[in-house]
Amino acid sequence: MKKILQIALGIVAAVGGFVDIGELVFNAQAGAHFRYRLLWAVVVGVIGIVVFAEMTGRVAAIAGRPVFDVVRMRLGFTAGLVTLVASLLTNLITLAAEVGGVALVLQMLFDVKIGTMILLAAMGLVLMVYFVPFDGLERIFGYLGCTLLVFVFAAVHLDPDWHQVGQGFLPSWHGSALYAYFVVGVIGAALVPYEVYFYSSGGIEEGWGERDLGINRANAVLGFGLGGLLSVALIMVSAQVLAPAQIDPGYLGTTALGAQHAYGEVGLLLALLGMLFAVGGAAVEVAMSGAYTLAQFAGWEWGKYRGTRGAPRFTLAWLIFFALAFVVVETGVDPVILTEYAVIFSVVALPLTYLPVLLIARDRTYMGDHANGIFGNTLGWLYFAIIVVVALAAVPLLLITQGGSG
Amino acid sequence: MADDGDRMDLVYRVLDDQLVDVEGRRCGRADDLELDGDVGGEPPRLHAILSGMGVWHRRLPRPLRPIGERVFGSGVLGEDVTRVPWEEVEEVGTVIKLKAKARDLGLAKGDDRMAKRLEDWPDA
Repeated sequence: MKKILQIALGIVAAVGGFVDIGELVFNAQAGAHFRYRLLWAVVVGVIGIVVFAEMTGRVAAIAGRPVFDVVRMRLGFTAGLVTLVASLLTNLITLAAEVGGVALVLQMLFDVKIGTMILLAAMGLVLMVYFVPFDGLERIFGYLGCTLLVFVFAAVHLDPDWHQVGQGFLPSWHGSALYAYFVVGVIGAALVPYEVYFYSSGGIEEGWGERDLGINRANAVLGFGLGGLLSVALIMVSAQVLAPAQIDPGYLGTTALGAQHAYGEVGLLLALLGMLFAVGGAAVEVAMSGAYTLAQFAGWEWGKYRGTRGAPRFTLAWLIFFALAFVVVETGVDPVILTEYAVIFSVVALPLTYLPVLLIARDRTYMGDHANGIFGNTLGWLYFAIIVVVALAAVPLLLITQGGSG
Repeated sequence: MADDGDRMDLVYRVLDDQLVDVEGRRCGRADDLELDGDVGGEPPRLHAILSGMGVWHRRLPRPLRPIGERVFGSGVLGEDVTRVPWEEVEEVGTVIKLKAKARDLGLAKGDDRMAKRLEDWPDA
């Protein structure tokens, strides 16, 4: 019974932790521009993150290796270093976007100057990461992020045209660069690599072993899978509320309007609280992921379970990440624009982190009987092909559409 | 310890792998390997593992090495590189387990120095 409860709580935390500013921006815009016609891209992205996360969790549990350990081992030094630098840069942009996002939501809730809120957001997050233990962080943000479920209820409450919704799940093509850009963005927002850096390192922080393979599978498949429901709901609500009014959600708060439309002020409050904890939790994950990747590549001691003095360079690394992100947001750059760049550049770096994980997950020397079977390998290589295509298309589409604006 | 009878693929199993000391502390990576032997003589044997950012520039493509040397250090033994004799290796498994403490092998000096600086910080 205790085990079932533990698994259930882990799933809830994964659901709440699934959405970050990338989904809030790209999915809301996708719904506003193309109504339900990008729902299939959510499914592609969510299955991708489930496959990727399950493999990284399994590699962490059986071989005791987090993602960047595997990257360095399988890509070799130079390609590994390129991947590290690319990951650190995209992590920094993402972190700046998330910290800016937290500040924006706080500003909407308390109506205080944004500069003050950025400082408060950054300081609050730093104090939480410093003092709250690993599983506490995962749970606090994950559970409270579940208030975003208000979007799922709103999506149904607003009485959508279910026939059109159903058609949205069938892959389609609309021949415009903007549509292709949003396909890449919606898939990329679901497949952000920091989530798997955090997920696999977290598995090691929590001491996963062979007995935890069930927890890994449940968290990856059900947690991330159900988290995908939130992404679907964001598109649906945006399609129902923002598209008819021709509102382009270029401002983070606009995304919350859908919930307000369905449930009034309570809906708005729940949506904003959900956004606050989902984006705050993502900021924590991104900052720690940056420190994990750096420490794992260099071979330093890492992990919150080691404490400040047990893993001092790791601790300093995530603190520096927060400081740098704070400086970036304080320049006044728009978190929504930062998010778009963060998602698109993450997509470009994605094949470099995905391939080594796939290579280890299928390697019997390290994984023994838990190596990928035929099904796992087929799905693994299929997704590698998809990821490569999406990665190659990302930057040209960003340039052609001028960041989705035309 | 061997992969196939008395053979071991060093690039596959040892190079770039995580070093863990006798107390389970992560203390660097196998950044380079030192082989022993003369050309035309006995087959070369693995003599030591080199760990530290000081050898990173040697791993880069030739045109990038001068920049790498400036960024990561030039490889001074005992300063930015530590030599771990092969006899100090206990096991090559999912990580490279060492027989002694990191401090006694001259590893993880960066973490030790930083831990001293953070001595007065509250415990997380």
